Amino acid sequence: MPVIEWLLLIFLIVCAFAVSVAKNLLNSVIIFMSYSLIMAVIWILLQAPDLAITEAAVGAGVTSILFFLALRRVGQLEHKKEDEK
Amino acid sequence: MFRIIFASFLIFSGLFILGVATLGIFRFEAMLNRVHVAAKCDTLGALLVLSGLVVLSGLNVFSLKILLVIAFLWLTNPVATHLTARAEVRTNKNLDEICDFINLDENEGEKI
Amino acid sequence: MREDIKDLLNKFFNWIIGNGPRPENEILPPEPPPDLPFTRRNSGRKSRFHEASINERYNEWVELHGLHIFSSLYTWMSVLTCLVIILLLLITVTELPPFGDEHNPANNEVVLRYIKTGARETGAKNIVAGMILDYRAFDTFGESAVLFTAAVSVLMLLGASRRNRTCEKNIFKFGITSKSFLQRGPPLRVHIYRQDDMILRGIASISIPTILVMGCAIIINGHLTPGGGFSGGAVLSTALILAANAYGFDHVHYFFNERTFIFSSSGSLIIYALAKGYSFFTGANHIPSGIPTGTIGNILSGGLILPLNICVGIVVAGTLYSFYALFSEGDI
Repeated sequence: MPVIEWLLLIFLIVCAFAVSVAKNLLNSVIIFMSYSLIMAVIWILLQAPDLAITEAAVGAGVTSILFFLALRRVGQLEHKKEDEK
Repeated sequence: MFRIIFASFLIFSGLFILGVATLGIFRFEAMLNRVHVAAKCDTLGALLVLSGLVVLSGLNVFSLKILLVIAFLWLTNPVATHLTARAEVRTNKNLDEICDFINLDENEGEKI
Repeated sequence: MREDIKDLLNKFFNWIIGNGPRPENEILPPEPPPDLPFTRRNSGRKSRFHEASINERYNEWVELHGLHIFSSLYTWMSVLTCLVIILLLLITVTELPPFGDEHNPANNEVVLRYIKTGARETGAKNIVAGMILDYRAFDTFGESAVLFTAAVSVLMLLGASRRNRTCEKNIFKFGITSKSFLQRGPPLRVHIYRQDDMILRGIASISIPTILVMGCAIIINGHLTPGGGFSGGAVLSTALILAANAYGFDHVHYFFNERTFIFSSSGSLIIYALAKGYSFFTGANHIPSGIPTGTIGNILSGGLILPLNICVGIVVAGTLYSFYALFSEGDI
């Protein structure tokens, strides 16, 4: 079990670093989503299942949806696509 | 003993399929190919791993919960993939550089 | 000699104060008009002019030199700031008491009391729910009030686009062929709004009731099993979001619109405040609520925890869904 915890923690730090490093905002939102998913698993391993439920529903679900909507409302998604072309 | 061997066979084959899915996501270039790989392999891999857990634990409440998880994964995962692919088809303007279009209808924006 | 020094000092002070010898042909500033009542001159205009000129010069300077210096400094300064903060945090971590030590400050009599007498006093099997909704219910009230305030402020900010609502309603009705939309010019992707996916609808008709049942179970069993108002409300709001995506916002408007949101959220907040707000005046803990705790393990137990869980769940579900609706459509 400690091996899995260590792997998850390392991946958590990698994700947290990648969120700030990623150039594309959409990518960083998706990485943030995976961050909160790993965080939910870690909450379960720490025996806090109610926090895990909340983290999975709010962190991975609602927050990232709100981020996507905010990006679309600001117009970041469209501009990125035009830049790639 | 036989149960453990069977369960480990299921779990390891599921892990192999999930690994293939990860490889495929990095290997392919186009978005639709990636979605194809991710959807099929994730669905099958999750099914194999979870059914391996069911075999390992026997018939009780825990395995019933896992069966429910399998049912909802099989319901929702293909739909999520379908929606992702639909969004790609609708928003990507240069899609005809990658794949061929078959226009079933004249007004394509309405039917896709 | 002394007089010379005195003279010099006098001249110096006068120079500092401004009473020095003036030139003969000095141009004096025009005297301000007498300060009549009700005709006070507004001095803002002058200062604004000065500010504008200063800003202009500053912008000119920034364009010529500043940006180069700033951009080269900026990365180094940000890296330096991050490193200093990381160092400070690491030093703080080394100063922390060891994990699980007996003499930690967190390991005091409060924890012992919660663990020993929590189940008996609150009647909740889930001791976390007993803590956050009975011992510390006032904190939870503040949290849900903060959520509601956030939703209301987002409503104020993003509800300003409500003037275009008729235009956007046309998109829902007529799809991409809406002429009034096309005249507005900017290439919004209209087809994202169109809710015509049969597969999503079919699956949503199966999964939305399941998610709703799951959320209600999490809320109602909040004092027995892990979970509670916040998690259950988040699950309920995901069901609402899925319904809005599959069937369109118009279908959700049948049972959840702005009136419903305001009434349900503020109503449950008011119920919460009436149930637990008295401790703000008495300063005591929330234990004696007058409602019997019942037998531990039943659903109808735990005194006020169950209705308060339901209140928090309603507030959270409404708030999260209204965030989604406001961000995507500009209207609940």
